[in-house]
Amino acid sequence: MDSIIELKNVTFEYDDNDIKNTVISNFNLEIERGSFTVILGHNGSGKSTLAKLFNGLNKPSAGEVFVDGISTLDEDNEIEIKRRVGMVFQNPDNQLIASVVEEDVAFGPENLGLRPDVIRQRVDEALKAVEMYEFRTAAPHHLSGGQKQRVAIAGIIAMKPECIVLDEPTAMLDPKGRAEIVSTLHKLNKENGITVVLITHFMEEAEKADRVIVMNDGKIITDDIPKIVFSNVKKLKSVGLDVPQTTELLYSLKNNGFDIKTDVISIEEAADEIYNALHLEEK
Amino acid sequence: MSKVLEIRNLTHTYSGNSTTKRDAVSNITFSVDGGEILGIIGHTGSGKSTLVQHLNGLLKPTKGTVLFEEKDIWLEPKKIRHIRSKVGLVFQYPEYQLFEETVYMDIAYGPKNMGLSGDELRVRVEEICKLLGIDEDYFEKSPFDLSGGEKRRVAIAGVMAMRPKVLILDEPIAGLDPKGRADVIKMIESYNKAYNATVIIISHNMEDMAVLADKLIVMNKGALAMFGKTDEVFLKADLLRQIGLNVPIVTRVMAALKKKGIDVPDNIFTVDDAVKCLCSIKKGGGKDA
Repeated sequence: MDSIIELKNVTFEYDDNDIKNTVISNFNLEIERGSFTVILGHNGSGKSTLAKLFNGLNKPSAGEVFVDGISTLDEDNEIEIKRRVGMVFQNPDNQLIASVVEEDVAFGPENLGLRPDVIRQRVDEALKAVEMYEFRTAAPHHLSGGQKQRVAIAGIIAMKPECIVLDEPTAMLDPKGRAEIVSTLHKLNKENGITVVLITHFMEEAEKADRVIVMNDGKIITDDIPKIVFSNVKKLKSVGLDVPQTTELLYSLKNNGFDIKTDVISIEEAADEIYNALHLEEK
Repeated sequence: MSKVLEIRNLTHTYSGNSTTKRDAVSNITFSVDGGEILGIIGHTGSGKSTLVQHLNGLLKPTKGTVLFEEKDIWLEPKKIRHIRSKVGLVFQYPEYQLFEETVYMDIAYGPKNMGLSGDELRVRVEEICKLLGIDEDYFEKSPFDLSGGEKRRVAIAGVMAMRPKVLILDEPIAGLDPKGRADVIKMIESYNKAYNATVIIISHNMEDMAVLADKLIVMNKGALAMFGKTDEVFLKADLLRQIGLNVPIVTRVMAALKKKGIDVPDNIFTVDDAVKCLCSIKKGGGKDA
């Protein structure tokens, strides 16, 4: 596997009043370059700890994390690592700092010491990529939650990262804002080849991912394509998670005697399955 | 059922100079009955939070009136604090406001400020915790040692312990995992049933609203776009989509089935109802009728 991020025997612990708390121990994981990965898990399952290990915000207590082959323990390469793996967090209001959208997006590239014309070009490209170019001179506080979060993503894109890690970026958004973010991420993944790691509590956001990882108690309990992960309804519920409402419906129908597959997620596919099951009855 | 809260022609204008002055909410009229669960949905920035902050007197209307039990809450401005124990408001991310040394003290804070003390206070806290399933083992713990979901439940319990007749919650499930969401929803239902309390909830989660809410208010750009029974509001899928909202996922599956020629009703908003409906179609021999 050509991996952009690799965790080798990683343990992460922190001190709390001299008591050692181990969040993850002896953990191994590779994220393939160019892939779209969703990480699920209940609050406290270790997802956010993991995300912060990906770009050196957390340093492993034991073992090593490699970004593009560079160890995050290597302090001389800290900037290189943060440039390669950008992070977006839950609350857009805490991430935007400038009073004009394009200045906010320019903040990162300016810190890289790039030439003004290169910065201009990168900012324009980044804003176009998240479809916020027409708002470039707006004030961030006049934008909706979904728009602010897309500006935050543009700020990362302008750094030309290899990978974006997003920790519950849609938790505070309305349904339209959520849909905007998820489609923006898929576009960046397909068209710009950026590796995406999305941490979320919304199961339907995992529908089109290449890979879904489910965390519980600091361990990976499932790691597969979305269809297979969500078909195991009982296992997900046992770790405090849910399935998309489409899967929930198909699963209930199956329990009520329908001859039906439960490993589809999209609305269209679910409708197809139900349609076929009803017509099988006819024969 | 009698009206507990009535809002008449409420407008709130954020002050500023002539260019920045704008109406955050404008000309809102609705009422809510005792024991009802009312959901408020709307895009971010549609005025939902501004609206509910008027209901317990945190904000004063620029125009219009707020009536609690048929009395204008601003009739005696000096007594506005009394209204806050009767109309309780749980803010977004209430767990950030926990500050006491123990869980018990945090939950007791509200009722204590209302003047309860001694046994009366203790009984009040124990009763709400029993109702909500917060074990007494938690009482002496520091709230800061709890998980995110547990903190949220303690913070909500603190407002419920004041036993408000109207409980308002601003996005109580945002940022929680599915188990945490289910726990908080159960708390809200328990409180509503045990005290026949009115509950007003702001949420972006249409699936949960379909199960919980008797009525819905839809806000759009500071105005009230729709107000009606939950079923009636969710029937207007196109209108909801136009303003950045949607109907529950299960409703969209049923709409897709209808397009394929299966004769399903439009008013299916929960998984349970969908399963009942499809099972009866199947029993009828899978016919499209």
